[in-house]
Amino acid sequence: MAAVTFRNVEKRFGSVEAVRDFSLEIADGSFMVLVGPSGSGKTTALRMLAGLEAVGAGTIAIGERVVNDVSPRERDVAMVFQDYALYPQMSVRDNFAFGLRRRKLARDVIERRVRRAADALELGELLDRRPRELSGGQQQRVALGRALVREPQVFLMDEPLSNLDAKLRVQTRGEIRRLQQEIETTTVYVTHDQVEAMTMGDRIAVMNAGRLEQVGTPEELYERPANLFVAAFIGSPAMSLVPVAGLPLELPGADAGAVLGVRPEHARLWEDGEGLLGPLEGEVAYVEALGRETFLGVDSGPRTRFVVSVAGRSPIRPGERVRFGLVADGLRLFAAASGRALGPLAGRR
Amino acid sequence: MIARREQQLTYLLLGVFSLIALVPVAGIVVTALQARGSAAGFGVPDGFNLENFATAWEEGNFADYLRSSVIVTVSVVALSTLLSILAGYAFGMMRFRGATVLFYLMLLGLMVPLEATIVPLYYDLRDLSLTDTYWALILPQVGASVAFGTFWMRAFFRSVPRSLVEAARLDGSSSWTTLWRVVLPLGRPAVLTMVALIFMWTWNEFLLALVMVSDEGLRTAPLGLAFFQGRNTTDYALLAAGSVIVATPVVVLYVFLQRHFIRGMLAGAVKG
Repeated sequence: MAAVTFRNVEKRFGSVEAVRDFSLEIADGSFMVLVGPSGSGKTTALRMLAGLEAVGAGTIAIGERVVNDVSPRERDVAMVFQDYALYPQMSVRDNFAFGLRRRKLARDVIERRVRRAADALELGELLDRRPRELSGGQQQRVALGRALVREPQVFLMDEPLSNLDAKLRVQTRGEIRRLQQEIETTTVYVTHDQVEAMTMGDRIAVMNAGRLEQVGTPEELYERPANLFVAAFIGSPAMSLVPVAGLPLELPGADAGAVLGVRPEHARLWEDGEGLLGPLEGEVAYVEALGRETFLGVDSGPRTRFVVSVAGRSPIRPGERVRFGLVADGLRLFAAASGRALGPLAGRR
Repeated sequence: MIARREQQLTYLLLGVFSLIALVPVAGIVVTALQARGSAAGFGVPDGFNLENFATAWEEGNFADYLRSSVIVTVSVVALSTLLSILAGYAFGMMRFRGATVLFYLMLLGLMVPLEATIVPLYYDLRDLSLTDTYWALILPQVGASVAFGTFWMRAFFRSVPRSLVEAARLDGSSSWTTLWRVVLPLGRPAVLTMVALIFMWTWNEFLLALVMVSDEGLRTAPLGLAFFQGRNTTDYALLAAGSVIVATPVVVLYVFLQRHFIRGMLAGAVKG
């Protein structure tokens, strides 16, 4: 096990800057998620850590050792690929053992590790099957197992769940998290899915256009997004971002050029208005009923759509006008020009 | 209805073309089975005579010719398969300086016909005292086959998912191990197709053998067949038997490999 450190790492492909001035510390034994839209540089960062791409500038260290010029096989990392990359002609057992044999481990050590990984992933029955005789979920577990048996310093996972159906994805998400907590191996996990990031990561690094936008725990990112990009990217439905100018609200500390960020749970129907800033009024553009709660998209003016959360089901239909208010404690302000967070309303936390 | 009509038409067309392809072959086999001196061609066979083969074998010296052919063909196929796999792997999977230029240079070997180079080739090999040896037949054909084989194997290696190779690298596998243990086992259809094609081309090569070899003991089967024809211009049954003898090894190999052959061709077609 080891910590991982990116220091001012850059990478270009021709004229495209895939990763710019990327610095990140990943604590020993922690689960770090790199999340961002496609083209944000997260996979490139992971591949540089694996040694599959050369580092353009800066340094990457695993533990104390700078690995820029270390070949992939000497970095002692194991990777789970998006398409699993199982060796099709080998049985599950041989897929597991391949890397161990390359490292000249003793036969009984290999056998023991293969057994243990197979048991942990409930693959014991399938050890003699070939990958193509397995279901997608089983293949995915074999891919995990192949990384597991290596007992590497660092696990690297490149969108390992994206080929699974929704239900299996949720289940496997928990399983990976549980395994990682059990063996406490430093893990770097790449995904474009912010729900995966929020549910799995000890810490999350949000990337955009090759840059690191913010690093923090899921709570920090959710409660205190550092800028408009993170605010819009993390959370589902996303935070409503509305220009302050034109809102009929007293917002202490907010200048006219600021943008107000409101999470759906901080926008509620007015009713008696207790504890809410407002009232605001608008027309319901859409209704998203999830059963346990319902989200209303409400347009209170041009470019000012709020997502309002309602507990349970709601009789409100699109086209109706509703009054709603905001929970002052949950509001965030951002500078419109730079996108930077200005913090909560003055006098609030 | 339309689908059924279309299917019938397809079968009809395929049937006609199969006939066009098969009739001459059938003609030769039938002729070879007829009694010596009887009417040649596509007449009704007058019996089932295997002695033509025995006679042709004896008189035509085919044992020697076939032995030469086997020596040359097996050497060419083995050498070019090995070299093509290695070169195709380098061109298909490794990044190195000058890869593109070198690859086009290799393709030149595919484009220039043997007829264009055979005269200088003869003088070169004579200077090296290699004419009238098996080397004069093996080396040039290895050169020609490797051009095709590299092109062919490169296409295969390009079609292998990159992540597979990367997984092997992270697992601690060298380039060498990755090639033989991880990637090549997936390429069996591609390799067997290449083997079949190179075998066929080498087995049937005529011009090179004609120019490079004058020693009777070194003659390959197609060359031997030509000389045999020269001596027996009117004995069609015997000629046909000789032809069948010479053609049989290729046909047998093809039948053995045809399943892979078709699959390899298709893989090549789809993945380029």
